[in-house]
Amino acid sequence: MNAVQTFKLTREFDSLVAVNGIDLEIKKGELFSLLGPNGAGKTTTIRMLCCLLKPTKGTASILGYDVIKTPFAVKRLIGVSPQDTILSERLNCWENLALIGKVHGLSSKEVKRRSKELLETMGLMERSKDQVRKFSGGMKRRLNIAMALVSDPQVLFLDEPTLGLDPQARRAIWEYIAELKGKKTILLTTHYMEEADFLSDRIGIIDEGRVVALGTSQELKTNLFEMHSMVVSTENLTAEVIADLLSKYSRLEKVKGRLKIYHKDLNFKEIVDYLHSRGVTVYSAALEQPTLEDVFIQITGKKLRD
Amino acid sequence: MKFWEIGKRNLKEIYRNPVLLGFLLGMPLAFMLVFCAAAGGGQASPIALGIVDEDRSQDSSAFIQNLGGIEAIELNEPIYSEKSQAQEDLEDGRISLYLLIPSGFEEATRAQQAINLELFYKEADPMIGLQLKLIIEAVGSEFLGVAPPLNVELKGTESKIKNLAVNFYFPGIAVFGLMILISTAAEIIAGDREKGFLARMFTTPARPWDFILAYSLPFIPVLIVSTLIYLGVGMALGLTVVGNLGYAFLIFFLIGLCSIGIGMIVGSLVKSESQAGVSWIFIVPMAMISGAWFSVERMPSAIKSVAGVLPFIHAIDASRAVLNGSSFSAIILDLYWLAGWTVVLFVTGIILFRRTMVS
Ligand SMILES: Nc1ncnc2c1ncn2[C@@H]1O[C@H](COP(=O)(O)OP(=O)(O)O)[C@@H](O)[C@H]1O
Ligand SMILES: [Mg+2]
Repeated sequence: MNAVQTFKLTREFDSLVAVNGIDLEIKKGELFSLLGPNGAGKTTTIRMLCCLLKPTKGTASILGYDVIKTPFAVKRLIGVSPQDTILSERLNCWENLALIGKVHGLSSKEVKRRSKELLETMGLMERSKDQVRKFSGGMKRRLNIAMALVSDPQVLFLDEPTLGLDPQARRAIWEYIAELKGKKTILLTTHYMEEADFLSDRIGIIDEGRVVALGTSQELKTNLFEMHSMVVSTENLTAEVIADLLSKYSRLEKVKGRLKIYHKDLNFKEIVDYLHSRGVTVYSAALEQPTLEDVFIQITGKKLRD
Repeated sequence: MKFWEIGKRNLKEIYRNPVLLGFLLGMPLAFMLVFCAAAGGGQASPIALGIVDEDRSQDSSAFIQNLGGIEAIELNEPIYSEKSQAQEDLEDGRISLYLLIPSGFEEATRAQQAINLELFYKEADPMIGLQLKLIIEAVGSEFLGVAPPLNVELKGTESKIKNLAVNFYFPGIAVFGLMILISTAAEIIAGDREKGFLARMFTTPARPWDFILAYSLPFIPVLIVSTLIYLGVGMALGLTVVGNLGYAFLIFFLIGLCSIGIGMIVGSLVKSESQAGVSWIFIVPMAMISGAWFSVERMPSAIKSVAGVLPFIHAIDASRAVLNGSSFSAIILDLYWLAGWTVVLFVTGIILFRRTMVS
């Protein structure tokens, strides 16, 4: 039995199809990321899996429990960190955590023990007795995630867990999530490809409500990605040379004064020699490993972030 | 006990918010102070009452003497023996109203039978009749409640009601004050829905009734304290409690629960705190036909029957009766009615709330 399974999961808002027939299978203990730009349908998918939104077509099950027919069985198994930080502002950390823990049926003792552990990991212990309305965005974000974990759920949904955090705070959360790997089934959504790359066992690339690519980070980069790229830093590049390059290679891009050449097979020496022969000065040149961003651009023809 | 956990959170969110708490508890206080200043400040001048004594018995004159002992009433002398004379004086404005004691009054009191006393007043001035009706009823029930021989026991009996106007208007003011809980309760729910807190909690195993109970819970202390403020400040500033204060409290408590229940329903229907303002679409018309502001007696029969179905008029009439001295048995039906409404409103709230848990 899969921890999370969706069957042609679809959600329409009037004429807009936010999620369009998604089929996912997430195994127990797996960390699966849905990577996609804003508006791709990630949050809508999570909301259907949490029984907050009814699918217009299809369905999903969590550890075998159907989200439409048995929502309360599902709710007992899951922990959710919503995309928007939602805390009770006039409660302190302990009280916020106890609320979720106890509504999930944990004893006071158990709640206390788990809260202590989470507050320490999340670096919130020092301020744990302050009302959270006085917290910074990053602190609230960390508590938001801790609240998803306090009930020790079997399946964890993290909707953009590091949205808007500074790199340092982001890294701390990544490390904590990485520690949970294997112990919990985690479905994470993100539009940061580094995040998906760093954390995931498998990644689903989602765009306009559809999963357009699926696999491990490595698989996505090698199997699905046919293009290779090379970056060259040059001087006195003429329009003539560019036109010539365009006729030979699939795509050219100018990034910060540097030239990026895409093609199925790229020969480093061939390109450098050609540029020299045309009198172009080459300062530097390097073949590039494709990134998930490249994969995304390749598949959807657009960028992850605008 | 999921409701208790969410309820505790709601309590803390409200009680740690000084502005909100100030409003919840300051409102009844301000309400009562203004009301008592307006209604109870000056000594109300007595109402000139004519009496037609068709019975001319020992009992009827004892009863008249009793009425005469009340500060609020100024008996018109002499007592009429013919109704036509009194009617003439009423039309000419020499008296504001007159009471007809029919022949057979003594017989009926001794046999402990029902007695109909008729109070005639000028159509143009219904309020005065209503006020006096209550007084006469109170005096009458005191009078008739005493076992014969009447003449000995009744000497010097006075109405305990110090200020008629305060006793008459107080229940309506207090019930209207409690009706405002409709909007406050609705706003708290709608605010939490708008902020996403409810959606967050909908991913936990909490059930619809857990939420309805959890959101009613913080209003119970508010309700108790407001009722105590209404009664306490009212009594300090002119309200006379002749009957059982506990019953009056119970009635106010039940109508407060009804208001919270309506608040739960409105809170389940609206999406944002600003939309919760629609509660006033319920509050104002319901208050208008509840007798809180004007008498319902003379409204069209259709409106009167709607008013009679709603709980508010029952709360106002019953609490007024109890404060003026009626016994528990006189208000028991009103209490059942209020309790029934409380149950119906909360069940409706739960059903409506359940529908909002998935969209
Ligand atoms: N409640 C809603 N009503 C109407 N449209 C919605 C609603 N929620 C989401 N959408 C639309 O569905 C699409 C997917 O949104 P969402 O799932 O939030 O994307 P993501 O989380 O990937 O950024 C967007 O176009 C969004 O505007
Ligand atoms: Mg989103």
